Amino acid sequence: MLAFILRRLAGTVLVLLTVSVFVFGFVRLLPGDPARLVAGPDATAEDVAAVRADLGLEGPVWRQYVRYIGQTLRGDLGRSAKTRQPVIAEIGARFMPTLWLTLVAMGWSTLFGLAVGVLSGVKRGRWEDQTAMVLAVSGVSFPSFWLGLLLIDLFSVRLGWLPTGGDDDWRSFVLPSITLGAGVAAVLARFTRSAFVEVAGEDYVRTARAKGVPERGVIWKHALRNALIPVVTMIGLEFGFLLGGSIVVETVFSWPGLGRLLVDSVSFRDYPVIQAEILLFSTEFVLINLVVDVLYAVVNPEIRLR
Amino acid sequence: MSQLFSKVVLGGALALLSAAPALAAKDLVIGVDSNMPHLDPANTNDTLSQSVERTMYQGLFGFDKDMKLIPALAEKVDSDETATEFTFHLRHDVTFHDGTPFNAEAVKVNLERVMNPENHLSRRSLVSMVSHVDVVDPYTVKFVLSQPFGAFVNNMAHPGTFMISPKALAQYGKDIATHPVGTGPFKFVSFATDTVKTTKYESYWKPGLPKVDSVTFKSVPENGSRFAMLQTGEAQFIAPLPAELVKAAQGIPTLNVVISPSIIARYVALNNMRKPFDDVRVREALNYAVDKNAFIKIVFSGYAEPLDAPIPPKLAFYSKQGEWPYDPAKAKALLAEAGYPDGFSAELWGATSTLAKRAMEFLQQQFAAVGVKITVSPLEAGVSTAKLWNVQKPEDATMQMDFTAWSSSTGDADWGLRPLLDSKSFPPNLFNIAYFHSAEADKAIEAGLGSADPAKRAVAYAEAQKIIWKDAPWVFLSVDQLIAGESKRLSGVYYMPDGGILTEEAALN
Repeated sequence: MLAFILRRLAGTVLVLLTVSVFVFGFVRLLPGDPARLVAGPDATAEDVAAVRADLGLEGPVWRQYVRYIGQTLRGDLGRSAKTRQPVIAEIGARFMPTLWLTLVAMGWSTLFGLAVGVLSGVKRGRWEDQTAMVLAVSGVSFPSFWLGLLLIDLFSVRLGWLPTGGDDDWRSFVLPSITLGAGVAAVLARFTRSAFVEVAGEDYVRTARAKGVPERGVIWKHALRNALIPVVTMIGLEFGFLLGGSIVVETVFSWPGLGRLLVDSVSFRDYPVIQAEILLFSTEFVLINLVVDVLYAVVNPEIRLR
Repeated sequence: MSQLFSKVVLGGALALLSAAPALAAKDLVIGVDSNMPHLDPANTNDTLSQSVERTMYQGLFGFDKDMKLIPALAEKVDSDETATEFTFHLRHDVTFHDGTPFNAEAVKVNLERVMNPENHLSRRSLVSMVSHVDVVDPYTVKFVLSQPFGAFVNNMAHPGTFMISPKALAQYGKDIATHPVGTGPFKFVSFATDTVKTTKYESYWKPGLPKVDSVTFKSVPENGSRFAMLQTGEAQFIAPLPAELVKAAQGIPTLNVVISPSIIARYVALNNMRKPFDDVRVREALNYAVDKNAFIKIVFSGYAEPLDAPIPPKLAFYSKQGEWPYDPAKAKALLAEAGYPDGFSAELWGATSTLAKRAMEFLQQQFAAVGVKITVSPLEAGVSTAKLWNVQKPEDATMQMDFTAWSSSTGDADWGLRPLLDSKSFPPNLFNIAYFHSAEADKAIEAGLGSADPAKRAVAYAEAQKIIWKDAPWVFLSVDQLIAGESKRLSGVYYMPDGGILTEEAALN
């Protein structure tokens, strides 16, 4: 297992290096002069030059890249062009709100999605299954900005129960996590159902039944455990997506997370922040994939990690 | 799902019970549409950060809700005949939030900080004409300029020259941007991500103010969510209120919709040095070709006024010129007279925003009706700054027509005219992207700056506006209106013509 993890980590470094080339190239390939833009309308030539140095846009490209990698490895991601604060601090401040929201949303949607999926799988073709799948399709199809605004209108404006946004206390979590988790729950429900149905037809499930294992044991121990493998992959992917900060949900609920930071930095063309966020998202994604692979073995010891 | 709903319902009921006593404190919350990058006034380029800064900071002079110049930390100012020496007489009763007394020495420290090129502060241009600052006595300070600058008092009212506690400047250095210490009605509490909190400054020098306990700015970019905040009472003032929500807001009995004029002028800059725009008849024709009222209706849902002078009415020394009426027949005749009976083709540049694209498409149709075929090119900001501002020689400018906007943040005619229309302001110096050059207009604009006497300045700027209007270097379009929403419990919060928000007199009942 350890050897596997180490090998995968080495691969991860390679992936991240590739990402860093893209991230580095992106500002340099943009049309126009980012330094001029960041410096603002009143800036003098010297001010623009100072900004250019700040953005690391001076000297030959290869040297810029070496400098960029060196700084990144030291945790120096530059300063935000907009707030003039260190990028690492900007991202640090936004990371926890996004992480918490992601955990809450993933928590309820995983439980709910799995439960509904298993229920549908067990009661395949019956009214429970059909209702659940109609819900799941709606969950996937609802655009989250629309669902979010609808929830705000109902629970904040009309009923006055919950705040419209912010991250002040537990009440602020309710609407954004429902909005964020709805799609995930729906995807997981459908995924679990189909995996479950597939597994339910396997020989070992039939064997278990033939041995006289009680139906509950068949479902939870034999069928579900095996059905979970693709579902775990899906959970990992969804978690990775959400951890990047949902742009739409964080904007609708003015959630001070990474998604909003990305929107703000794109609209302000805050290149150091955009670069750092892309790098962070890629790292998160790669690491989550690694964790998912390890989890396979936990869920099903049959799988050997090589 | 049912379990979840019952949880939500239960949670909601609890929340309702716990929310009730919050009304006792007079806390003002303002919902705005983007973030406040930081709070160093001398380094701020956005109106929103300036609005937040206004709660905590003040300058020697200031602007009232109509952008009229008013004394603030200075009681009065004297200037010499040539507009090169300005002596400010300061108030004696002002202290910074950290207890540091406000005096002439503090003014000198602040000005010298902004003037120092090594600090790379983006508002240095406001004081670039200052040669030196002299402390005459503890409450009198004299600015000696290197060249006449009649609009200098306006620059001392701009947020860029707000007064920061010298002690805090020494203590925090560059981090002053997140630790504001000023003399304003509210003290800094916290600056976290998208929210800035301030609280009442008990020793504020204006008697009876402030009337609310705190002011909080919250950034809520989504229009629907911001409006919802106002409806639920989580915010008492939101700006901007999008035009499409005005009707909905007007239908709610607890809310007011406030519509006020801005100083944001919209126009199409024409390259006056390039064919065919070097012919005044062509420029006139293009002005006749656009129905300004239809433009306002389509692009601004009706929330704008026609631009009837080179600068908007709320700027000092505005002088109304009338209008270029919508007359396509006359436009065609003028084009024919200029040698373009079948019109011509040209490229229209502009920003990539929805508003800019809608405006450009509308103009394309209007110009097509008189035979001028327009290609619309929305440009990324990085590209347009390079193509417009970085041009080194007029003959290298590739711009033909550019849909653009200008807001003169000093509230004065000078910054509304000189950077855009004086022949010394061709890029890369300043922003005369129309390459408009008129010796008469230059003379009038410079005369306006050469005196600090309002009467003389008014005469000069009236003359400048008359010449420019007749020469039509731009297609004059509109002046934006600003729309805000507020609770009927609130009074004394103003949406200024430059888009700033004034909270000093805010009161909640």
